[in-house]
Amino acid sequence: MKIGLEIHVQLPTRSKMFCACPTDGVTPNSAICPTCLGMPGARPSLNRAALEMGLRLAKLYDCKIPERTWFSRKTYFYPDLAKHFQVTQYDNPVGEYGVFDFRGKPIRIRRVHLEEDPGRIKRVGRQGEEMSLVDYNRSGIPLVEIVTEPDLSNPAEARQFLSDMLTEIRHTIGLSDENEQSVRVDCNISVGIERVEVKNVTGLRNMERALKYELVRQTKMLRSKKPIVRETRRFDEERKVTLPARKKEFEEDYGYIGEPDLGVYNIRALAESLDEKESPLARAKRLCEEYGMAEGTSRQLINTSMGLCDLFEEMAAAAGTKASLYLVTDVISSNWSKIKDLLDEDMRAEIIEVARLYSDASVNDIEARRRLRALFSEDEVAETGSAVRGDPKLLEDAVEKAVTANPGIFEDYAKNDRAANRLIGDVINSTKGAFSSQEIVLKVKERLERDL
Amino acid sequence: MSSALSISKIRELNEEYGMFYSIGDGKGLDGSRFHFSAKDNLTTKDHPTTAGSKILSNYRPPFDAAAVERLREAGGVLLGKTSMDEFGFGTFSVNSAFEVPRNPYDRDRSCGGSSGGAACAAALIDGHLALGVSTGGSISCPAAFCGVFGFTPTYGRVSRYGLLDYGNSLDKIGMLAADCATIAELFPLIAGADERDPTSCGHPPMGECRIPASIGIPSESIKGLPPGIRKSFDEAVTKLKDDMGIEVRTLEMPMFRYAQPAYYIIATSEASTNLARYGGMRYGARGKDLGLHFDRYFTSVRSENFGAEAKRRILLGTFTRMVGLRDRYYLRALQVRQAVIEEYRRAFKDVDAVLTPTMPFIAPRFNEVAGMSALEIYLADHLTIPPNLSGMPHLNIPCGYVEGMPVGMQLVADHWDEGCLLQAGMEWGKLFERIRPEAMI
Repeated sequence: MKIGLEIHVQLPTRSKMFCACPTDGVTPNSAICPTCLGMPGARPSLNRAALEMGLRLAKLYDCKIPERTWFSRKTYFYPDLAKHFQVTQYDNPVGEYGVFDFRGKPIRIRRVHLEEDPGRIKRVGRQGEEMSLVDYNRSGIPLVEIVTEPDLSNPAEARQFLSDMLTEIRHTIGLSDENEQSVRVDCNISVGIERVEVKNVTGLRNMERALKYELVRQTKMLRSKKPIVRETRRFDEERKVTLPARKKEFEEDYGYIGEPDLGVYNIRALAESLDEKESPLARAKRLCEEYGMAEGTSRQLINTSMGLCDLFEEMAAAAGTKASLYLVTDVISSNWSKIKDLLDEDMRAEIIEVARLYSDASVNDIEARRRLRALFSEDEVAETGSAVRGDPKLLEDAVEKAVTANPGIFEDYAKNDRAANRLIGDVINSTKGAFSSQEIVLKVKERLERDL
Repeated sequence: MSSALSISKIRELNEEYGMFYSIGDGKGLDGSRFHFSAKDNLTTKDHPTTAGSKILSNYRPPFDAAAVERLREAGGVLLGKTSMDEFGFGTFSVNSAFEVPRNPYDRDRSCGGSSGGAACAAALIDGHLALGVSTGGSISCPAAFCGVFGFTPTYGRVSRYGLLDYGNSLDKIGMLAADCATIAELFPLIAGADERDPTSCGHPPMGECRIPASIGIPSESIKGLPPGIRKSFDEAVTKLKDDMGIEVRTLEMPMFRYAQPAYYIIATSEASTNLARYGGMRYGARGKDLGLHFDRYFTSVRSENFGAEAKRRILLGTFTRMVGLRDRYYLRALQVRQAVIEEYRRAFKDVDAVLTPTMPFIAPRFNEVAGMSALEIYLADHLTIPPNLSGMPHLNIPCGYVEGMPVGMQLVADHWDEGCLLQAGMEWGKLFERIRPEAMI
């Protein structure tokens, strides 16, 4: 089975691709002008930010970037397409012949090109008296299309691949999570020889479903010796099936010609001048190599935020890997949504200081966590000042108190030793950082084993 | 400004000559710096803009074209919109859904096209400046037939913002006037870069210029001319030599013969995509049956409202960019354009400007036009197409009369060197005696 994808992602520019209209219009037809409505006499002028984002992605996949690029007209008649031609790229797109390292498997990228989104059609009204309304707010929003070679071999892999791609894209061009919902994919899939295209599938889950459906459908046809015809299908999201698309909508000759209202852009120098930020997946790989991190941990970090990775690396430089990694994957990760907006220079310095103290054992893990939590939250006040190394007698008392407060703990522990966590939690709370978690765990287990 | 000019006089004149599709109220005309008209493919807020097509009946654009806007800002008063071939598709201004302009020297004859109304207005209204548009000769041709100066600048010199496109890589906004000094004075107002048209360019600004010291005449351009035209042209050349001291040489420009097919391929390819937007959805003509499937709705509006020549060019242009044909036609034509530009560049190493007759005949009678095939009409443009295809600035200069009808010659300069053309036109104006049309106001 071979799968190739054509991935369309809206670029997060503030204005549209060829006019100054904003890209965040909500009320239908509120963000429109003569250019994106295709009024006679209005013309496009290229949004530089869109071109730069396209080039950044082309660089991300190590594409061959041509000396010069230009735009073309793709002509077809459809009510949502204001000019009845789409300004897109045909010859000399911003990137060609790239590759994406998908967890060690190279997936070839055929091309990366820029184009404008058409408007959106909305069907309204009761059955039998339906009307189509067109909202041109989307008309002219920049899109990037990334086309892969058919190098993917099953639906689950395709989904993983797309998810990894989106992680990289999100970081490279500053795409927010909600924009990701609007990713649209055309899937080319062949089980036998002929390929079938499923057009315009929205989102990761639908893509996997559409591919699975096609896999089953095409396999059945092959088994019963029916020919698979080369065709274009669409995915019905409600019924979760693919259906033949009406031929007219897709099988046209688009009659590409150059867009004469836009110039030829010399992009080599521009592409070279764009700074290359380390991509998330490259960083995950480096984190594993440099800090001996487990692959799952590094992915968790990049998936949370590149800012979290930055903080980790700063902490590691000052306080060593082990202590920093513990704090980052524990209390910092779980509070990240709160921290990310508060994180200024002062807070960074304080976090690093806690990591340093924890690293040289000046404070234990529980105290370190308490201090950080206090730093992140206004409600919680750190009760510091407790002895860094508590009197062993205090710990014994605390454990006894917890045993008394938890009747039946021995029976429970006999059935499942995880019951010990109840005591451990109580002792951690009552000793307020005077003892490390290690000391507490040891003492609690000792006590439970003794009277079992 | 002559106070004798009034809108009522223009309306009267228009009854006879049909040069205007739409006439304004003349507000501000008295005491204005100058008056002008705009070809009806330039958008105007206060006039309908139809480009001579039924598909844009009563269309009122929300903005003024850059050239119109700039002339207004400089104190010009827009008298009206001039009639034209539908979307610029024609050589005689007869392919219009509305008015057909009549020649100022003989109302049974054509004004030429596609800026026919503009040339007619420039010939008949004293001191008038007409904005015209040329894709393949639509300024030179009517200027020659109506005996006025017709100036087409370098491609990109004037912003095309607000121009209803024919062939975007070829369209140029220019000026027509009976006196070249009018053009030389007012043209700088509309020249220069405009961020609303990325192909517009300010480089280099037009400066002080001298008339060309040497002129080359391609031998290809004078072959097979009717004797009257040839005689008139030869006399003008003698005058250029003797009275203006210009050195005249003969050139070979064999690429000219390929310019015409290349032009029609590029122009119609672009036109067929430009005209795709007219489908009766948001402006212009509306279809009767809104219940039709969108395909059939668009088809019904387009079939009913495009004229025959527009349909012919849509078909031609769609054909030349089809899969399998695109390489043979459209891409090959782009190469030919480059070769024509190079041929001009070679010529401009030897001479400052290239001179040809403008049209191979005088303005034909309407009944003669009716008898011409589409191909014969296309071939009539063979002298105006090379400079247009290559984006070279050019000027039609009235140079004589045959059977009482004007004859023109066309002077072509290198990219961005239009100043020398206007200078030559003004010098010539001092030597040439214009026969004023009787109906002139």
